[in-house]
Amino acid sequence: MSEQALEIKRSSAAMWGTKTGLRTKDTVAKYIDTTTCIGCKACEAACVEWNDLRTVATHQEGSYQTLPELDAQFWNLIRFNERTTDDGGPMWLMRKDQCMHCAEPGCLAACPAPGAIVQYANGIVDVDPAKCIGCGYCATGCPFDVPKFHKTSGKMSKCTLCVDRVEVGLEPACIKACPTGCLQFGTKEEMVRLGNVRVAQLKKNGFEQAMLYDPPGVNGTSVVTILGHGHPEWYDLPVDPHVPWGVRLWKQIVRPIGVIAAFATVIGFFMHYTKYGPKEPPA
Amino acid sequence: MTVQHIETPVIVARDRDNVVVGDEIVRHRRATRLIHWSVALTFFIALFSGMPIWSPLFGWMAYLVGGLEIARLIHPYAGVAFFIASIFQFVHWLPDMHFGEDQKGWLSGKALTYMRWERVEESGKYNGGQILFFWAVCLGALGFLLSGIPMWFPLYFPKWVLEICILIHDLTFIGFVVGVIGHIYLGTAAEPGTFGSMTRGTVTRKWAKFHHPSWYKEVTGEKK
Repeated sequence: MSEQALEIKRSSAAMWGTKTGLRTKDTVAKYIDTTTCIGCKACEAACVEWNDLRTVATHQEGSYQTLPELDAQFWNLIRFNERTTDDGGPMWLMRKDQCMHCAEPGCLAACPAPGAIVQYANGIVDVDPAKCIGCGYCATGCPFDVPKFHKTSGKMSKCTLCVDRVEVGLEPACIKACPTGCLQFGTKEEMVRLGNVRVAQLKKNGFEQAMLYDPPGVNGTSVVTILGHGHPEWYDLPVDPHVPWGVRLWKQIVRPIGVIAAFATVIGFFMHYTKYGPKEPPA
Repeated sequence: MTVQHIETPVIVARDRDNVVVGDEIVRHRRATRLIHWSVALTFFIALFSGMPIWSPLFGWMAYLVGGLEIARLIHPYAGVAFFIASIFQFVHWLPDMHFGEDQKGWLSGKALTYMRWERVEESGKYNGGQILFFWAVCLGALGFLLSGIPMWFPLYFPKWVLEICILIHDLTFIGFVVGVIGHIYLGTAAEPGTFGSMTRGTVTRKWAKFHHPSWYKEVTGEKK
């Protein structure tokens, strides 16, 4: 943590704005190409293993998907979606789901515990369990429904983008495990460039709706996803994710007004007392 | 004559409302005072555990309850205790809290002249402002509870419900804190002699005649 403290870009519930760390770094990103994902779940296994997460009981729910959604002990999930193409053929979509590490993180905006959610200089958004109070506000603030409550620890938990590996120059565990090369890791700039090349290639090959998912509503994410068929909603992704209006209204407008109102009331009554004094019966 | 002979009637009388004992009048009997302080105590526990979560500006309050994590843990329980105390308060005060013809002035701009220490109306046991405060507090307690339950168990409610609840909880709190600061000011420094009605339970005849003339006439049976 001491090393990482040098690399803070933003911190939750920072009273007078975050004091940033000494270092600036290139933003890192994962590259996920859903068109070459084969749904082998090697990334799921690697995530559980590297992060030492306990295995969660699974149930047969008529899908290849391991769990219906992410879990406090399952940070990396391949989502399987079945659709029919326009000409009646089958379409089997697989997308690796995990924390998107938004440049404008809704979780961090909503978090009331100072320093419990931090964004490092390289763009990774991380939860510090020592400071987390388990209130769940981050889950309300997240447009991707990522942070989950871990019952026994009473803390929120999510993908760390393997910050401990990235810190020492390794790629995240999920990337390391991928056998098809549909997962890549590097600087955001490099991953976007790679993504644009791949989208152009897909379009040339008949996937006219192919797109690079890097939603501007949250100022882009540190996960760059190639969607072969476009339509983020087909892949269980929000079309236009952004920090919820309720969180913005509460954090940026109502709370400052409330703090001012509280102090103004105290000062107001003090001024009142100096002007009108106590109300007493005439002598 | 010993002191005891003088004090005994007052001690007995302090268990009953609206009783005149010598120069004193019992304004709030013991039950009333206990209920009031139960509400106040639970409110302040909820306040000290809630404000550090509300804004890091009040983060220091968390130390009063044992840290921010403990604050998150006890705040809902303090809130429920506050609501239960508020129910007792509601039932206990309700008979005195009807808004009559006399209190109409309190619904107009005339109410503001009270703060210039002008008389808004001929006041009974409670003036219109106090009755309005009572209803605001009851509504606030309900708002805190209804918006607080989803915030207590955020995993079981949809996101949009939580967004709205956090907002309602906040707005209710802002209204509450402004109201309570005013309540404390008027009950202590601004109107001397009032605070005793919530501690000892009694006020002086002079106080009653000045602040609540109709009530004074009713209690003492004096014509004017």
